[in-house]
Amino acid sequence: MATADHPHARFEAIYDQHVTPIHRFIYARVGNRPDAEDLTGQVFMRAVEQLDVDRPAAQISAWLYRVAQNAVADYWRAFYRLPQIGVEQVAGAWEPVTPTPDPNADADAERAATAVRRLLKGLPEQYARVLELRFLQRLSVAETAGRMGISHGNAKVLQYRALRKAALLVEADG
Amino acid sequence: MADEHSEELSEFIDTLLEGGRPAPDGLVGDEAPVARLAAELSAAGDPARGEPDPAFVEQLRLRMRDADAGISSVQGWTLPAGAQLRRIRLTRRDLLRVGLGAAAGLAAGAGAISILRPTRTPLGGNGRPLVGDGEWVAVATLADLPEGAAVRFSTVAFDGYVVNDAGTIRALSSVCTHMGCTLAYRPEWQDLRCPCHGASFNLAGELANGSEGWSSGSGYRGDTKAYPIDLPPLVRPQVKVSGQTVLVWTAKA
Repeated sequence: MATADHPHARFEAIYDQHVTPIHRFIYARVGNRPDAEDLTGQVFMRAVEQLDVDRPAAQISAWLYRVAQNAVADYWRAFYRLPQIGVEQVAGAWEPVTPTPDPNADADAERAATAVRRLLKGLPEQYARVLELRFLQRLSVAETAGRMGISHGNAKVLQYRALRKAALLVEADG
Repeated sequence: MADEHSEELSEFIDTLLEGGRPAPDGLVGDEAPVARLAAELSAAGDPARGEPDPAFVEQLRLRMRDADAGISSVQGWTLPAGAQLRRIRLTRRDLLRVGLGAAAGLAAGAGAISILRPTRTPLGGNGRPLVGDGEWVAVATLADLPEGAAVRFSTVAFDGYVVNDAGTIRALSSVCTHMGCTLAYRPEWQDLRCPCHGASFNLAGELANGSEGWSSGSGYRGDTKAYPIDLPPLVRPQVKVSGQTVLVWTAKA
């Protein structure tokens, strides 16, 4: 019989404890589920091969987050040719890499929400509004245009300008 | 100048906000940091807060168990004895191949081990029974199956489709051979499509959008690139028609 001390059982306990926070960590940085699932899969498949389950819990957490962070950096570097440092400039400001997983989804989300509010506050009102409607309220371009009383084409341009400006702010902040 | 942006970036953002996997191709110049900020903003606004899909968590667990079992035998860890050992050695693919009923029989020591021997060719495709200890189960009538139609069925041991592929009645597993997601029939494309990563299987059960067909032809059904992994074909249980009834050979409960 497998006991709690058996490597299989210990590994699954580690998985159960970390899969949600690691997925959340990755999702916050890639923004879509299919890619977040692929990268989360990479992290744990690598853990099966390389993670030493006899290490202390804090080291195991740190190892998983480091691998997750590298996976995200590789993702942006490979797909978008972005330098690794950029990821931390952006993502680090929102949700610091914690050595221990935070099981509280609300705290995580709260941190991200605060960072977003701060970011939006630094933008001209129209920019903040278009990002709020599109990304937080998740309205379509057409709905956003309707709410703001502007044309569809203008809403698209405004969305782009706002994102661009926000990206510059984040970069300057980092 | 600063207002110029590519159609690809607009599409990237739309796909992102619809919850899909955006294509990185075609972003120009300095659009990449913009795309990344959009991804992070979108994640922050996600009502589900990045919580993983429970089905994904369980699929990944199974993949890890498979890999873990492989490593265990190499490293010579002490494996649990008896039935426990056998169950650990069962891979997800074995389960999919023979149906859960047969696998349960094996774990209980029913002596059906030969059907679980790893094999390069999928079982059940050549008119041979998929499982020895099985039964015929009625799953549809011919009236349900005009040419090009597919009917979803579910037996105790097996989930699949019966399809009419240009006059040939065939039974196909509805489980994707990549990670086990449930395939959806798309009548307009005559294929079974995986919602997880977009694998498409034709009505013969073979991967239809793999790289092989891609290099020889002109791509597949509006996909922007070939499926990156060469997947084995779907499990095809034996099927027969008796009168107007379509029956599928499947493991006994």
